[in-house]
Amino acid sequence: MESQSGEPLGALTQSMERMEARLEAAAALFERTAAMLEERENERSGEVRKIVAAVETGRETDLQRKLEAAEQQIAELRAQMETHGKSPRKTVPAATAQFLAKQGIALESVEAGTLDAALNGLSLEQRIAVKAQLLRAGALG
Amino acid sequence: MKLEAMAVRLPEVTDHPNRAPFTGVLTRVDEPSTKAPSGARGHRVILTRAAALAALPSLLGMAVDYAPSWDGHDARRKCGIITQADVEGPELQVAGYLFAKDFPEVERQMRQGLPGSMGMSWELADAHVEDMRAEIWTLTRATFTGAAILLREKAAYRHTSFELAAPRCRSNGWHERPAGLVHAGAIRHFREGADTAFGRTDRRKEPIWKARVASPWAR
Repeated sequence: MESQSGEPLGALTQSMERMEARLEAAAALFERTAAMLEERENERSGEVRKIVAAVETGRETDLQRKLEAAEQQIAELRAQMETHGKSPRKTVPAATAQFLAKQGIALESVEAGTLDAALNGLSLEQRIAVKAQLLRAGALG
Repeated sequence: MKLEAMAVRLPEVTDHPNRAPFTGVLTRVDEPSTKAPSGARGHRVILTRAAALAALPSLLGMAVDYAPSWDGHDARRKCGIITQADVEGPELQVAGYLFAKDFPEVERQMRQGLPGSMGMSWELADAHVEDMRAEIWTLTRATFTGAAILLREKAAYRHTSFELAAPRCRSNGWHERPAGLVHAGAIRHFREGADTAFGRTDRRKEPIWKARVASPWAR
């Protein structure tokens, strides 16, 4: 199925799925961060949840390394989020950007009335999807 | 010599096919571990005598487990149970049963491995560290949640041990009269006229254990 403007609906769906996956990943990172903060709190009180009197195996060392890498990634993502918090994100999926460009709408200045007119030819679901993407991208107030 | 002990006395069953009694040194108290235990973030640890004594009740009835590679714990491979524990000098000694029929590979390892090659390791939960910034962590409070049989070189405490009584005694070796005591992988050594499962160097314990048999819950 294709929209009147020739944009494949599949591309929009795919971009929505990608976005969903990214949101899930972000949620998982936040959960890990919360666990890490809890552990730090335990450190202050001198409590250790579990100790085993066996030397750490290679697998555990490997997991420790992965954990450190994940923590570093969390810190980087946090820094990115702070930066993005100051200036709204202006990226939308390529398919949507192309569609809007064809309708003569610039991402930097999207007006509600103009957008409604541009989306007029799309189905209700497609209109919702495009608006949702623009909202997430911070292009629509 | 100061001895603090606790025991759970199980009903004796003659010729029980699934009970193989063992004794072992689980850890040392008031001494730093040889290596950093897993979960201690690279710190060696000292389990204080007071903490070990306070945690003795939590040790009784806990399982011993093993990993097929004999290098750590696997809580889903519980191959035995701890029924007795005591702190004698710097050692926390334990005794109990292996489920020898259910885990023949464990018994095989004990008998075929190099003598003295096997040791033990504890698993602690909710441990309290006196000062987490210290180079060596001092554990002042903890709860034992299990133990493992493993290669001594893989244990955080080098001076641990695990010994299986033989021939398979059908009751706990500390209560009965087994024919001898076998170290891990060793040839059986029979001691004529022995009264307990203790080796020659441990005969001094015999009066204490005889008293304990009369009153198992005495501390």
